[in-house]
Amino acid sequence: MAIKEKNKEKDKISILLGDLASLESYAKDLFSFLPLPVCLVSSIGIILEVNPALEKISGYRIEEIIGKSAEDIFTEEEIEAISKETIERGSVLAKETSIFTKEKRKVPVSASTILRKSEEGEIIGYFIGLFDLTDVKKKEKELKDTQLALLNMLEDTKMARQVAEEERDKTKAIVTGLADGLIVLDKENKIILINPEGERFLDVEAKEIEGKILETLVEKPSLKKLAELLSTKETKRGIFRKELSFKKPTERILEITTVSLPPREENVVILHDISREKLIERMKTEFVSLAAHQLRTPLSAIKWTLRMLLDGDLGKITAEQRDFVEKTYSSNERMISLINALLDVTRIEEGRYVYRPTFNQIENIVQFVINSFKEVIKRKKIKFGFKKPKEKLPKVKVDVEKIRLAIDNLIDNAIKYTPIGGEVTVSLICGKKEIEISVKDNGVGIPKDQQQRVFTKFFRGANVMRMETEGTGLGLFTTKNIIEAHGGRIWFKSKEGEGTIFHFTLPIKEEFAEFLKKF
Amino acid sequence: MNQELTKEIAKKLMEIKGEARGVTLNIDREYILKEKGEEGLKKLEEELEKLGCPIKYKKIETLTFYPVGLRAISLLAIKKVFNFDDEKIKEMGFYGTKISLIIKFFIKYVFSFQEVFFKESPKIWREHWTTGEMVPVDLNEEKKYAILRLKDFNLHPIYCRYLEGYISGLIQLMVKSPKIICEETRCTFKGNEYHEYLIKWL
Repeated sequence: MAIKEKNKEKDKISILLGDLASLESYAKDLFSFLPLPVCLVSSIGIILEVNPALEKISGYRIEEIIGKSAEDIFTEEEIEAISKETIERGSVLAKETSIFTKEKRKVPVSASTILRKSEEGEIIGYFIGLFDLTDVKKKEKELKDTQLALLNMLEDTKMARQVAEEERDKTKAIVTGLADGLIVLDKENKIILINPEGERFLDVEAKEIEGKILETLVEKPSLKKLAELLSTKETKRGIFRKELSFKKPTERILEITTVSLPPREENVVILHDISREKLIERMKTEFVSLAAHQLRTPLSAIKWTLRMLLDGDLGKITAEQRDFVEKTYSSNERMISLINALLDVTRIEEGRYVYRPTFNQIENIVQFVINSFKEVIKRKKIKFGFKKPKEKLPKVKVDVEKIRLAIDNLIDNAIKYTPIGGEVTVSLICGKKEIEISVKDNGVGIPKDQQQRVFTKFFRGANVMRMETEGTGLGLFTTKNIIEAHGGRIWFKSKEGEGTIFHFTLPIKEEFAEFLKKF
Repeated sequence: MNQELTKEIAKKLMEIKGEARGVTLNIDREYILKEKGEEGLKKLEEELEKLGCPIKYKKIETLTFYPVGLRAISLLAIKKVFNFDDEKIKEMGFYGTKISLIIKFFIKYVFSFQEVFFKESPKIWREHWTTGEMVPVDLNEEKKYAILRLKDFNLHPIYCRYLEGYISGLIQLMVKSPKIICEETRCTFKGNEYHEYLIKWL
């Protein structure tokens, strides 16, 4: 009976030991499986147990870390605080701290603890569970960096906006205070901006027209005119300039300059009031015209009196007297030609220079002019050439008298400012739509700094003024006006001391074209 | 100590009275697996089979009691198969304290070193062995030394080396120190009445 009881006890112990073994295996598996690093720290701060996850994060092997002081792997102050709080409160939840690996690398972790007591209630240690914050910190740093970068960008943007606003205000002040009118149009011709002077010149109000397409505002005569001008192709390229006169609100002449801004295809239109200049110019022209007319009558009387003297109508004169009278006659002639030139200029400016175009062979006109210079060419021993195509050129519709004058001016200048024995060549080239005439010399040339003023009134090159006192400075102005009145173009190339070449074109027009159009 | 393990020696060891918990053999298993892997453990089991002590380490239950002689046979077989020296045997002892379930389960590491040392040291022995008695003799925290005495325990000199490592590891769990040394100062195999261990730390 006693043996039976003893065996029963043995069986019970055996079962209990089996259960303990299972429990051990279960606890071991659970502890090993835990992905979170866990360790057991004794009440005096010695590490008593670690799981594989803690071995991994710390870099220590189990036999190296068990028995170590917790202060060896945690920051001393932080583990003391955690330990104190655990003992006082029983647990700590997610406290941020760091652990130091075997390689002395600092790993940020979040630590949670729970107190362990004996059956008697004595504190025997605490478990610490860690959560690796490396990735979180990394993300946090990235986030902070991104935030910082964004803040910097925001600051930059703010500064850029401030600068832009300052610039805008500055530009606005300039635009508002500008003495000229200013309109900015986008590529669809929508009015983006008009300044107060623009409003005044065109008799419009900004709030009524800004944001609207220019072509839709044609009920305003001033805007209609502007729209017509801006519809031309020329205004879409670079800088374009044209005068426009307006009747309302007051009679005004505006010089319209359009500047195309390529990147956004915007058009800036500058309205410059030239009414006063035009008035002064007109008054000057009228004065010159009046003075010239007044001078021409007595000069004509002098001319005919001198002619009569030279022709002996008033009796015989001595050779010495003839010489004096001839010189006076010649001077009078120059005076008359100056007066005629001045009158031509005033007629051009007043729009009274009448053109009577007819169809003509240009080579005949050129030849006619060349013939008139034969004597002077011979006297100055100029090597004169006239190059023209072998075949007959098409006719051009020109006012013969005016074109002769234009060609005369160019050849006269070429001969006059080419030294004795120099070369002058007149060439004709026939293009598809125009005939190009050029006059080339190897004379004194035009100084580079004065070339811009060549076609202005009374211009005479500084170098030619030193060598030739005669000349009105009106020839090239008149020539340019004549050529342009015929629909042609005129330009030149020159180098001081080497010579000059003037080119001009005349459009080829089909004879009877206008007449044939009617059929 | 240098005497090679034979069947006869194994037989004699098996005749020693007393039992030890399986945990002591599990320490050997874990250490060999760590150092030599499965292959090493297999070699060891083959050697034990030759000696007539066929231990299947993976079937050893931590808390079950086994003949005390097996503990010495296991260590001697390890020494023989892997040619371990005394230092390596000490290291095994030291390692044992880090993985011993009994140390983790039953020892109460309270605040006082004195209390743990004097109260828990004999308990640790009792938890492992049914023979012998561990007696804490002295503890001087100021001078940083302690003396432990092991009475009525005459297993094999190899276990004296093992115990030096084991006690070092054990004291490491009680006192914060970067270095702990344990030395057997008295030994029954050297004619003393008991084993005595002097533990010093920095």
